[in-house]
Amino acid sequence: MAEVEVNRRDMEAGESPALTSAALGLHYWPTIDGPLGVYHEEAVNLAKSFYYVGFLCLPWLWFINCLYFLPVLRNSRSDPLIRPYVVKSGIGFLVCGSLLLSWALTFAYGGEGLLGPSWKHLAVYDIANKYQQIFT
Amino acid sequence: MEKGILDVVGGEIVGIVTPVSICMFLVVTLVHILDPRGEDAPVSNIAMMVYNEQASDSFSEKLGGALLNAIVFVVIVTLVTFMLVALFYYRCTRCLRVYMGISAFTVLAWMGGIVAVQIIKLYSIPIDVITFLICTINFASVGVAAVFFCRMPIMVTQGYLIVIGMLVAFWFTKLPEWTTWVLLLAMAAYDVVAVLTPRGPLNLLVELAIERDEDIPALIYEARPTVSGRMQMPPSPAQMGSDAERPRVRRWNRRASRSSNPSPDTELGESPMSSGNASQRDSTLTAAVDDSQNLITGPPTEPEVGIIGSRLISSTGEGGALHAVSIILHENSHMDDDTVPLVQQQTNSPSSPATLGRSEAEFDHRSRPMNGATQHSEDGDEETGIGLSGAIKLGLGDFVFYSVLVGRAAMYDLMTVYACYLAIVAGLGATLILLAVWQRALPALPISISLGVIFYFLARLVMDPFVLDMSTNLVFF
Repeated sequence: MAEVEVNRRDMEAGESPALTSAALGLHYWPTIDGPLGVYHEEAVNLAKSFYYVGFLCLPWLWFINCLYFLPVLRNSRSDPLIRPYVVKSGIGFLVCGSLLLSWALTFAYGGEGLLGPSWKHLAVYDIANKYQQIFT
Repeated sequence: MEKGILDVVGGEIVGIVTPVSICMFLVVTLVHILDPRGEDAPVSNIAMMVYNEQASDSFSEKLGGALLNAIVFVVIVTLVTFMLVALFYYRCTRCLRVYMGISAFTVLAWMGGIVAVQIIKLYSIPIDVITFLICTINFASVGVAAVFFCRMPIMVTQGYLIVIGMLVAFWFTKLPEWTTWVLLLAMAAYDVVAVLTPRGPLNLLVELAIERDEDIPALIYEARPTVSGRMQMPPSPAQMGSDAERPRVRRWNRRASRSSNPSPDTELGESPMSSGNASQRDSTLTAAVDDSQNLITGPPTEPEVGIIGSRLISSTGEGGALHAVSIILHENSHMDDDTVPLVQQQTNSPSSPATLGRSEAEFDHRSRPMNGATQHSEDGDEETGIGLSGAIKLGLGDFVFYSVLVGRAAMYDLMTVYACYLAIVAGLGATLILLAVWQRALPALPISISLGVIFYFLARLVMDPFVLDMSTNLVFF
C-alpha cells in the first residue's frame, strides 16, 4: 500500500532509534480491539504490567493479556517488544491453569476415597452448609 | 449509497439494548433457578431499614411501610450523590477511585461468591474451597481492574459491567415485594428530579464533568463504536509529529502520550461510521484523514465536548450532518449500590460534523472558547472507567433497576417477564428518541420503569387470569 511506503520513508528519515512496532513496518493493530485499543508504547507498558501483576496469583490476568494481544500472539514475526510478555503470559497461564485444573479434578473425582476426612473440610458445599446463616 | 438514519441509529440502539437485554436475561435466569417464588428471607438491606415487611401485615400497613422504606432509600441515595459531587468538585479523584474500586470488588467477590455458592449448593458441584477462592479472587480483581483502572479488551470490560449490574440487581430482588415496587417508582421520580432540575445532584455532576472535560468516576457502560475500516494502520510516530493538516493523527499522539486510559478511538474508528460512506471506500490513513479534514474544517461552532462521547451520525460525508447523539447514563456506585441513573446527551452543532468526545484535544483548544468552557490540558488526568468516547453510554444504575423490575416480574410468572421486557425496551427506545429531540441530559429510568410497572400490574391482574382460564379450558392457547 502506498501508505505503508510513505511510512517507511518517514521512518527512515531520522526516526528515533527507539524501536516501536510502527518502525518495523508492521501494519496491523496490536490489540484485539483494533483501532480502538492501545498501541505503541502504551501497548508495551500494558503488556508488561499485565505480565508482572499476574504473578500475584492472577492467572486470569495472564489469560486476558493473551486475549488482548491476540494479533501479536498469532503472528510469530510481530512486535518484538510486546511479544515476549504475551508469550510468557500465555505459558504462565497454561501452567497455572493446568495445575489448578488437575487439583480441582482430583478433588472432584477422588473424593473422600483419595483425601480422607479432609474432603469434607474442603468442599464448598459443606462449608456453605456450616455457615448457612451468612450465605442465606 | 447513503446510509439511512435508521441504519446508523439502529446500530446504536441495538448496541445499547443488547447488553440491557443480556443483563435482564441473566437476572431472570438466576431468579428462576435460585429463588423462583421470592421466598428467600431477605438479607437485611439498607432499603429495609425502616420497615420489614411481613406477609401477615394488612394492605395499608404494607403500603405505608413500603413508602417509608422507599423514601429513606431515596434520601440516602441523594445524600451519597451529593457527597460524590462534593468529592468530584474538590478533585479527590484518588479517594473516589479507591472507593469505587473497593465497592466493585465487594460486589464481584462477595455477592458473586454468594451467588456462586448458592449455585454450587443447588447443583451439588464438588468444588473445593481453594479452587473456589482462587477463581473468585481472580475474577474479582481482574474485574475491578477492567472497569476502573486499565484498558482491557472492550468485550471484557463490557462483560464485567454486565456482571456487576446483574449481581446488584439480583441482590435487590431480595427485597420484599411491596417495597420493591414502591422503590422502583420512587427511584424513577428521583431520577427525573435529580437530572432535570438545575440544582439536582446529577445535573451538577454532569455540568462539572463537562466543564472540566473529565470523566465521571462511575460505572458507565459504553456501547462499542463499530469500526469498518479494517485496513487502517496505527499511526507511526513520524506521522504523529506532523502538522496541522492531520489534526486527527495529532490527536492520537496526545492520546498516546497520556499514561492512563487514552481513547484514540473516535477519529479513525468513527470517521468511517460518521462520514457514512466516504471513508468506507478508502481504507488508507490519508484518505481517512482527508475526510476528517473535510469534516473538521466546517465552521467551528460548538463542539460540545463533554463527558460523553458524542457519536456523530451523519448521513453524508461532508455537508449535511445530523446531530450527534450520545447518552450518558450514569451511576454512582455505593456500598449498598445506590444507583443514580441518568441519560445525557451532548451534541455537536449541525455544522461541525466532526466526531468527538473528549479525545479532541486540539479541536477543543481551537473551538473551546466558544463554549465558554475552560480549557484544560488535562494530561495528568486519569480517565476512569471506560476511556472510549464516541459511543452511547448508559449508566449501570439503569441496568440494575431494569433488571430488578424484570427479576421481580419473574417471581410471579414468565408472562409478566415478557410483558415487562417489552415495556422496558420500548421505554428505552422512547428515551433515546427524546434524547435526539431534546438534546440534553435525560433520565433513563422514568419512562421504562413506569411502563414496566403498568405492564406488570396489567399482566398480572388482567392478562393472567384471562389467558390462564382460556388455556385451561382449551379455548385459546
